[in-house]
Amino acid sequence: MVRARPVFRGTELGLLFWVALLAALGFVAVVGAEASRVGPAALVVPAAFVVVAVALHLFLVATGFRGDQILLPLGLALTAIGLVLVERLAPVLLVQQLSWLVVASGAFVAAILVPRDLGVLARYKYTWALVGLFLLALPLLPVVGRDINGARIWIRLGPVSFEPLEVVKVFLVVFFAAYLEEHRELLATPPRRIGPLPLPPIPYLLPILLMWGLGMAVMVLQNDIGATLILFVVFVAMLYFATGRWEYSLVGLLLLLLGSWAAIEVFHHVRVRVDIWLTPFSNDLRFGPSYQIIQGLFALGNAGLVGAGLGNGMPERIPLVWSDFVFDAFAEEVGFVGAIGLLALYLVFVFRGMAISLRAPTAFLQLLAAGLSFTLAFQTLVIVAGNAKLIPLTGVTLPFVSYGGSSLLTNFLIVALLLRVSDATARVRGSP
Amino acid sequence: MEIPYQLALWGVRIAFLLVLYILLVRSFGALWRTLRTESELAARPALAYLIVQRSHATGPRVGERLPLRAASTIGRDAGNDVVVNDEAASARHALIELSDGSWWVEDEGSTNGTLLNGARLQRRERIRDGDVLDVGRVALRFEATL
Repeated sequence: MVRARPVFRGTELGLLFWVALLAALGFVAVVGAEASRVGPAALVVPAAFVVVAVALHLFLVATGFRGDQILLPLGLALTAIGLVLVERLAPVLLVQQLSWLVVASGAFVAAILVPRDLGVLARYKYTWALVGLFLLALPLLPVVGRDINGARIWIRLGPVSFEPLEVVKVFLVVFFAAYLEEHRELLATPPRRIGPLPLPPIPYLLPILLMWGLGMAVMVLQNDIGATLILFVVFVAMLYFATGRWEYSLVGLLLLLLGSWAAIEVFHHVRVRVDIWLTPFSNDLRFGPSYQIIQGLFALGNAGLVGAGLGNGMPERIPLVWSDFVFDAFAEEVGFVGAIGLLALYLVFVFRGMAISLRAPTAFLQLLAAGLSFTLAFQTLVIVAGNAKLIPLTGVTLPFVSYGGSSLLTNFLIVALLLRVSDATARVRGSP
Repeated sequence: MEIPYQLALWGVRIAFLLVLYILLVRSFGALWRTLRTESELAARPALAYLIVQRSHATGPRVGERLPLRAASTIGRDAGNDVVVNDEAASARHALIELSDGSWWVEDEGSTNGTLLNGARLQRRERIRDGDVLDVGRVALRFEATL
C-alpha cells in the first residue's frame, strides 16, 4: 500500500487542530481547578500529545495513504479526553499513560505498513485464532499471570502489566471474518428446523457452540464476565453480518441466556453482580459490594445539564474511579451536554466504520471492518450502560478513554485496520 | 483577584465543551462529505475499458467491453475484476492500474506470460489507448476514457 508520493490530508489536519485545542483546554481546566494559578507547565502534556498526533498525521501523509481522514482525529480526541481524565483522577499514572500512547502509536504505524496486503490476514486465519487463544490463556500460567481485583486476566513482565484479552478481540475478529467469508456459500441454505426452533447448518452451529464454550471457560477460569459477553456477542453479530439470517442470532441469544442463568445459579460472584444491579441499596450491599456503583449513581445524579465544571466535581468518592467509572466521573463534571458529546464522538466513529465496511471491495474486508466497528460500539455500550446501572457492571474499558495500556494499544490497532480497509477501497474505486 | 480567576476557569470549562461540539459538528460534516464523494465514485462509469478482440468458446464474447477500475486484476478466477475464462490464462494473471495520471500494466507471475502489443511483459509498463494485451488465447484492446 505504500506509495512514494505524499498526499495532502486536509480534512484530517483540520480536525486535528480542534483535537489539539480540546486537549489544551481540558488540561488547563483540570490543572487550574487544583492549583490557584496556571503556569505554562499545564501545557506540557497536551504539547506532548499534539506532537504524537501530528507525527501520526505526517506519517500517513508521507506514505501517500489514501484512506479515511476522520477516524484518526476521532480516536485521538477520545484519547485526549482520556489523558485529561487521568490527570484529573490519577495524576501519578499520567506518565505511564503517555508512554502507552507512544507504544500504541508504534503499533498503529506497524499495522499501516505491514502486512502489505490485508489478504494475508485471511490466509493465515488459524494462526490468528491460535495466537488469540494462546494470549487468552496466558494469564492462567503461573509465572506471568496475575490476579487483580478478583479477575485473573493480567500478565506481568517486569514492570509492565498487560491485559491480553483486549488484543485477543482483534485477533478473533480477524479470524471470524476470514472463517465466515470462507463459508459464505452456505448463505443460500435455509436452516433446518426442529419443531419451531431453527437449526443452523453444522459449519455455523459448531463455531457458535465452540465460541459459547470458550466464553464460558473464560468466565469460569478467569472470572471475567465482560470478556465472555463481548467475545460471544461480537461473534453472533458477525455471523449475522455474514449471513443476514436472524435465526442464528436467536440461537446465539438463547445460548447466552442459558449461559447467564447457569452462571448465576453456580457462581457466587456472578450472583453478587446481579444482586448489586437489582438491589444496590439493600442493607448488606450498600456499604460493601455496591458502594462503588452507588457513588457512581450519585455522581451521575449530580451532573445536571452542564455539570459541576471540569475539575470541579467529586470523583474521588467513587472507588477505583480511574479504571471502571471514568464515564460517571466525566459526566459529573461536564454534565448531560458533555456526556452526550462524548457518546456522539463514538457514534460518528462507529458510523464511519460501518460505512467503510459497506464500501469495502471484498467480503473479508467488509466483515473485518464491520466486526471491528461493532466490537468498539458494543464495548462502549456495555461499560456506559454498566456505569449507569442499566445492566450489571462488568470490568471492561471505555475505548480510548479509560486508563490502561492494553486498551489504548488495541483501539489504535482497530483504527489502523479500519484505515487500511478504507485505503484498499480508495485504491480500487479511485479517489478524487 | 480570586473572582476573576474563577471566572476565567469557568470560561475555560465552557470553551472545552464548545470545542467538543465544534469537533463533533466538523467531523460529522466531514463524514457527510466523504460519504457523498464515495457514492459518486461508486456510481461513476468505468475509468477505462478492455475490448475483446479475439476469444474462443469459454472466453468472453468478441466485442464485449469490460470495465476497468483504478486497479483491476485480470485472470481466470471468478474473483478477478476482469475474468478471462481460458485454460491458458493463470488464476491471477495480470494487473492494470491507474497511477500518477497514467495507466500501467504488470504481469502477476502468470504461467504463460502477458503480451503487450506482441511483446512479453518483463516489468510494469505503461499502457496507452489502443494498445493490445494478450492474456492466454484472448486478445484485449485497451481503451481509456480519460
